[in-house]
Amino acid sequence: MKQFQYVRPANQQGVLAAIAQPGTKIIAGGSNLVDLMKHGVMAPDKLVDINKLPLRNISGISNGLHIGALALNSQVAEDQQVKTKFPLLSQALTAGASAQLRNMATVGGNMMQRTRCPYFYDTAMPCNKRAPGTGCGAKEGFNRMHAIFGFSDKCIAVHPSDMCIALAALDATVLIQGRKGTRHLKFTDFHRLPGTTPELDNNLAKDELITGVEIPNNNFAQHSYYLKVRDRASYAFALISVAAALDIQNGIIKDARLAMGGVAHKPWRLTTAEQLLKGKPATVATFEQAAQTAMQGAKAFKDNAFKLQMAPASITEALTHAAGLV
Amino acid sequence: MEDQNKGFEAESNLQPKDNPRRDFLKKSSLLTAVALTPAVAVKAAENHLDEKVAAVFEKLSLDVTVNGVAHKLSVEPRVTLLDLLREQLHLTGTKKGCDYGQCGACTVHVDGHRVNSCLTLAMMVDGKKVITIEGLANGDELHPMQEAFIKHDGFQCGYCTPGQIMSAVACIREGHANSEAEIREYMSGNICRCGAYPNIVNAIQEVKNGGQKV
Amino acid sequence: MKQQELLNIPPLTEGIDRVDGRLKVTGAAKYAAEFEVPGMTYAVFANSTITKGTIKTIDTKAAERAPGVLAVFTYLNAPKVPGYQTGGDPSKPPSGGGPLKLFVDNTVKYNGQPVAMVIADSFERATYAASLVKAEYTKEPHQTDTSKVLDKAATPKGPRFADYKRGTPDDWQSVPVKLEAEYVVPIDVHNPMELSAIIAHWTADDKLTVYDKTQGVKSTQNAIAQAFKLPPDNVQVTAKFVGGAFGNALRTWPHEIAAVMAAKQVKRPVKLVLTRDMQFYTVGYRPYTWQKINIGATADGKLTNLVHEARAQTSSFEEFTEGTVNMTRFMYACPNVGTIYKITPVDVNTPTWMRGPGEATGAFALECAIDELADKLNMDPIELRVRNHADTDPENGKPFSTKYLKEAYQMGADKIGWQNRKSKPRSVQEDGWLIGYGMGSGVFGAGRGRATVKATMQSDGVLLLQTSVTDIGVGTGTAMTQIASEVFTGIPVSKIKFELGDSSLPPSPTQGGSMITSTVGGAVHDACVALKEKFQQLIGNGGTDKPDYIQVLKDKNIPQLDVTITSSGNSEMRNFSSYSYSVHFVQVKVHPKTGVVRINKVVSVADSGHIVSPKTARSQVIGGAIGGIGMALMEEGVIDHRFGRYVNADLANYHVPVHADIPHIEALFVNKPDYKVNPMGAKGMGEIALIGMSAAVANAVYNATGKRVRELPITPDKLLG
Repeated sequence: MKQFQYVRPANQQGVLAAIAQPGTKIIAGGSNLVDLMKHGVMAPDKLVDINKLPLRNISGISNGLHIGALALNSQVAEDQQVKTKFPLLSQALTAGASAQLRNMATVGGNMMQRTRCPYFYDTAMPCNKRAPGTGCGAKEGFNRMHAIFGFSDKCIAVHPSDMCIALAALDATVLIQGRKGTRHLKFTDFHRLPGTTPELDNNLAKDELITGVEIPNNNFAQHSYYLKVRDRASYAFALISVAAALDIQNGIIKDARLAMGGVAHKPWRLTTAEQLLKGKPATVATFEQAAQTAMQGAKAFKDNAFKLQMAPASITEALTHAAGLV
Repeated sequence: MEDQNKGFEAESNLQPKDNPRRDFLKKSSLLTAVALTPAVAVKAAENHLDEKVAAVFEKLSLDVTVNGVAHKLSVEPRVTLLDLLREQLHLTGTKKGCDYGQCGACTVHVDGHRVNSCLTLAMMVDGKKVITIEGLANGDELHPMQEAFIKHDGFQCGYCTPGQIMSAVACIREGHANSEAEIREYMSGNICRCGAYPNIVNAIQEVKNGGQKV
Repeated sequence: MKQQELLNIPPLTEGIDRVDGRLKVTGAAKYAAEFEVPGMTYAVFANSTITKGTIKTIDTKAAERAPGVLAVFTYLNAPKVPGYQTGGDPSKPPSGGGPLKLFVDNTVKYNGQPVAMVIADSFERATYAASLVKAEYTKEPHQTDTSKVLDKAATPKGPRFADYKRGTPDDWQSVPVKLEAEYVVPIDVHNPMELSAIIAHWTADDKLTVYDKTQGVKSTQNAIAQAFKLPPDNVQVTAKFVGGAFGNALRTWPHEIAAVMAAKQVKRPVKLVLTRDMQFYTVGYRPYTWQKINIGATADGKLTNLVHEARAQTSSFEEFTEGTVNMTRFMYACPNVGTIYKITPVDVNTPTWMRGPGEATGAFALECAIDELADKLNMDPIELRVRNHADTDPENGKPFSTKYLKEAYQMGADKIGWQNRKSKPRSVQEDGWLIGYGMGSGVFGAGRGRATVKATMQSDGVLLLQTSVTDIGVGTGTAMTQIASEVFTGIPVSKIKFELGDSSLPPSPTQGGSMITSTVGGAVHDACVALKEKFQQLIGNGGTDKPDYIQVLKDKNIPQLDVTITSSGNSEMRNFSSYSYSVHFVQVKVHPKTGVVRINKVVSVADSGHIVSPKTARSQVIGGAIGGIGMALMEEGVIDHRFGRYVNADLANYHVPVHADIPHIEALFVNKPDYKVNPMGAKGMGEIALIGMSAAVANAVYNATGKRVRELPITPDKLLG
């Protein structure tokens, strides 16, 4: 790791001024950034430690819940309001990483988490995300963990977060502070598809700061489930993950939210399937139908063809659990 | 604004990208602060003769309490808490198993919470309290979790053990030791290649069920 | 001397606590990289990013100029290691060829091969400077994909690996039931939790102390002494604690020689800790092995023909061999048996023995094939095994020294509830999961080598035992203490001290091959017996069997009494075949939609003679079972063959089991002594704890799902469809 400067501004203006300089990176928990710096994948000249900022609170707001960007993953997962109102988020967070990492990782940092694609991590192999123009190592290489939706010729990596899959399903909003003011972004618009610029993971500008996320109230708390299919029982990235949330009244699905992880460069919201579920009886047959719908447009590579089967099976399974049919 | 007093900003703004060390040395104001004549110091650095002179400018001050002992240190910002503990403070009980947050051997408590010290920059524990495996026992009297690990043979080679124990203590404190399944899930961030898992779970259950203070 | 009388074998108890437990739970146990030496420097490698070719240019200027850097070594400037030059190989190769020598020329033989070594005054500075080394290469075409060159496999030199034939194994004309199946075990990587590490410290021009991660301090001492042309006594190698190894520290690797070279050159102690990815690239792994089994049997389940062929990878510069097919020759009574073992070179580092070694690879194939045959015959797999039980060794006709395999089958079957197994696959479902049972057995040679132990009764009444053996976590110190306490009845365990892990102590073999309890234990036993006898002589006639040793020493006015005994197995052993056996039983659940496999129950039974240290033995069996679960369900080193680089060279993507994967595991022991092997009647169990486990899991998955996965690991994707 090269030498870098380290500053810890005492307030938001200080942070915004610091990150406007070239070569700077924000550090919050560090659980991904330090890892990437050790691998030589990222080499900032200056780290801006934002832990002095008062962004740790989780608080009720008129139409939902506000979660500060510096709230720890463990803190959010254990929060009573989160557990009561948005158990899906709590489940998703607990499915991610390890207890230690969840004590370090923040909400904002989790959103900024970079792909775990091995070609991105190994500086001796090509990767358009890490080194634009070098090619995508995964496309013709080892791509068992890779995307089946929304990939491009340049990049087939997937977004690794669990938390983000739940937040995408829960219609969260991202609060962003720039030097010119604040802006709100739909969570599903925060991350982006690779297209021709896979080096960009999301739509946050270099000089902007995530200050929090807001989740609107909903009626899904009774019927939600986060399913994570992985190679070992814990502490592993998803082969497929599904965030499923249902509002069921008298056996009929009034509303539904579905998002998938491990399949795309961003949390993959399944709006067509959600539409299909609405008004239908909460049965396995309905869920299977929705799962098939959700898979439209999916395309596999050499090693990840299994996802074409595992993904719809997981959607069905997650919905079945959410509906309480298991 | 206490951090400003440490001069992080003032210092960092002076560091250009390519060779921070030499440029630092050319700033006479800073050099007078360390009572050296610029020409000598610059020459020394250019000739690679006195790294200590240059190193002063690459380090930041760090106040941290480790196992109850307050340390006033000066560290490069790239030093991790793990390497600080092992290489500078010679507290080698905290282990390096992967260095990337993938094994849990480096688990320590920072302000009471278990974290991976390998992904924690030392500067980020400034002003905090760190407890390592060396700080868990009360003198010669072992912590109940240490006793339980011995009794249940919760280890073989012993290399993951400090991390397992620090994690196990935290697991109970967090309230995540209510069933075998819950213990297994919340201990999954600590890999044991020898395969002592069932014995570790037994040890944690005994401590939890014994109701001893952890 | 009648050992049985001398050693009154107690019933299997809980056993004593691990003697080094307190050091391990307090963080006081010191592993290789943790010794403090004044003036320490840090070594970090820069590694090749190509797989095969030559270094065209290597630019170290930036690294040399970086703060804190003391030296940068490449093939251009590295001082010659004298032992490298004379043809004497400093690191003993596993079988044929010669080990890689670092920094002697510009050739690159595998990806990740160190091409430069930076020495700096801090770890951070050395790491950064190493990243500044820039090499340009002339690439040559490479091959890292063993599956593509299986047809180029050849039989290794030497009689041990020649094709084996008994009867007419290839005559299939009149065989009623035939089975042919191919199996693949991928690259598995040891990945002990402790990273390979060494501190090299020259205390004089011709003398050095080395703190090393090694399974054998004496072999490392000899390797370093040979490389640097020093008398072995001038090289002190210490390995007081070893943070797991599982085989990857059985030999001296090039990085160890490089660290010693660098320390000599910079005239300061050098600490080198390999990174986790280097554990994949440079310190061995279980080789990719393709296997084919052909079995013939009668309709009532008597084996008639058995042919086992294995083809495994090795490196381009060394022949690595292991006993992959050997078990097939003697595990079952079968008149017509053939084994074929071949290796094929690829452009990777040399493999090395990994726990259970080749036998674990072979047992996966054989024990799955037996299960497949049982299924074909519609016969219980245990019944099939019992019908083909070998009462004498079919390979050489010798009697077994002891063999309680049938009892082990029974103990395990009873414990797991084998009667609940349905012979028809995919017929049990609970809570939406498919349930299945499987079993597999393992076997490993139980010999006894030579070791020297010094036993000293000190004036304070402490019995000190000293030998150079290491303890890689298996509990050697604890087992030896227990053996001594069984000879010196009356001396409390707390008064027995076992000192190990230093080359200056009397020689013991390298920790490995399930030999240590038998070999060193035998020597500890013999030394203790000799010391007791020496006391008896001192006391003279009429003395008690349990004298007050402190008083005797005081009365005779001698500070201490000691003996040094070298002992090994007796010639009677040659008349017998001696093996340890294991039988593993598992119950799995498999999710029918997602293909996820979870292990519900495990029962592992060991027939490994008298269990001298029950507590650590139980842990070892449990640990082996977990290693086998990893091998079965998740472990695979994956190489992108276009680049010759691993795509999962870390612990996030190379999955080993975590807590959540592992249920309660029952470890059972037959616990019947085999006094032909050693006076304790104990046999090794490190390998058998793992051997056969992966087959048990695969067989259980088949029983649960009806799907036979013959290529490990059995990941969820392989169970879909």
